Amino acid sequence: MLQVRDGAGEMLGVLFDRYQTPLFNFYSKLTGDRTLSEDLVQEVFLRILKYRQSYRPGTPFRAWIYQIARNARIDHFRKFPRERVFEPEMLPPVIPADSAQEQQEVELLQRALALLPEDKREILLLCRFQELKYEEIAELLGCQLNTVRTRIHRALQELRKSFHQLTQGTALKRANSAAPGNISPRGGCREV
Amino acid sequence: MKCEQIAELLPDYLEGSLAPDQLRDVEAHLEQCADCSEEVALWKKLSLLPVEQPSTASRVRFEAMLQAYQAGRSNQPAGNPEWKKRASTASVFHWLRSPLGAAAWSAALLAIGIFTGLRLAGPKPPSPDMAAIQSELTNMKQLVVLSMLQQQSASARLEGVTWSTRDQHLDPQVLSALLHTLRYDPSVDVRLAALDALSRHSAQPQVRSSVVNALQEQQSPLVQVALIDQLVEWHDREAKPHLEKLRQSPDLNPTVRQRADWAIGKLN
Repeated sequence: MLQVRDGAGEMLGVLFDRYQTPLFNFYSKLTGDRTLSEDLVQEVFLRILKYRQSYRPGTPFRAWIYQIARNARIDHFRKFPRERVFEPEMLPPVIPADSAQEQQEVELLQRALALLPEDKREILLLCRFQELKYEEIAELLGCQLNTVRTRIHRALQELRKSFHQLTQGTALKRANSAAPGNISPRGGCREV
Repeated sequence: MKCEQIAELLPDYLEGSLAPDQLRDVEAHLEQCADCSEEVALWKKLSLLPVEQPSTASRVRFEAMLQAYQAGRSNQPAGNPEWKKRASTASVFHWLRSPLGAAAWSAALLAIGIFTGLRLAGPKPPSPDMAAIQSELTNMKQLVVLSMLQQQSASARLEGVTWSTRDQHLDPQVLSALLHTLRYDPSVDVRLAALDALSRHSAQPQVRSSVVNALQEQQSPLVQVALIDQLVEWHDREAKPHLEKLRQSPDLNPTVRQRADWAIGKLN
């Protein structure tokens, strides 16, 4: 019996090793909360154990697993209504101007992503970071392929706008900090 | 082209699935339009976002969850369903982290150990519990194999094929996934591995007929030779007409043709 138990564990372990980091990143980039993200990853694997009969062979497996992941998050926030929303302030502060430009851009991008409404952030994460194909996303969200395309484009447009606001804000901040005795307020990066 | 027209094509451009003429249109537009090209640049930058690593405790928690679940399954009649209903999984995880939780864990694991020891000590006929766990195990294997065979990386698909060979009995769904892999997988290595996995199940008539059919579809000489060898090993006389047909294909690799001749001789 021990052998049987180890066998099933080993197998779920294979899935765990493969999916824990992508799922963790999906949650952490969506919610900005590491502890909650780890809890939700555990919940996903518990649900895989419980509901594995619901997987229809021949359908995209990743769409199924992300379906479980989305439901786990929705159920969690239903039970425990959000105490805090994802604020860009929860991310590490933007590195001062003298650091590598690319590094700074990545951090601005992270902040810009955090400013998006959750559904837009989610669809960008799914296709760009989780590398789901458009067909898989359509299956996952239960919508048409064309709708997926439109939503991706809208999300990208909005990302550009918030990224723009942030870069202009940073330029302003830099100008402010160059002037002696002028301390820019926190969140000043959102001023345009 | 205007931005609105480009908007319809942009997602496919980003995915790299545009037809050449559309691709030209989009690229021409991107050179002129700052907004659209900025969107493309941002899309590319999204892949630079750092990958965060979960804590090392995560794996330990996973193992604990797995054991708790399986212990719960095998002791289900004794369990208290009311308690189960009330406790949400999230709160269970919080509880597991507390010192009291840890102590309870140790006790539970000890109990599982004793239970297992007693089970192993005396040979008993298989209980319904045991059968349930056995069937869970089979389910899990299927799920792993089926998911692996869909992975994008060839090495992951290879791993999936290897997983499928761990079971003596091949589930019909796994069988059809392997047959699909044999015919359509883009990687030669994965197709060869699938053939190797399938060769263990020659008793199933579907396997033999699929190998014969795959013969006509394969383009890779390596796989063709492997298929021919397999048919010879099975002494599959019904394959002879198919081999004849294969050797008459106009652009067949000479080595494969030679091998087919050899096989036809063997099967006579």
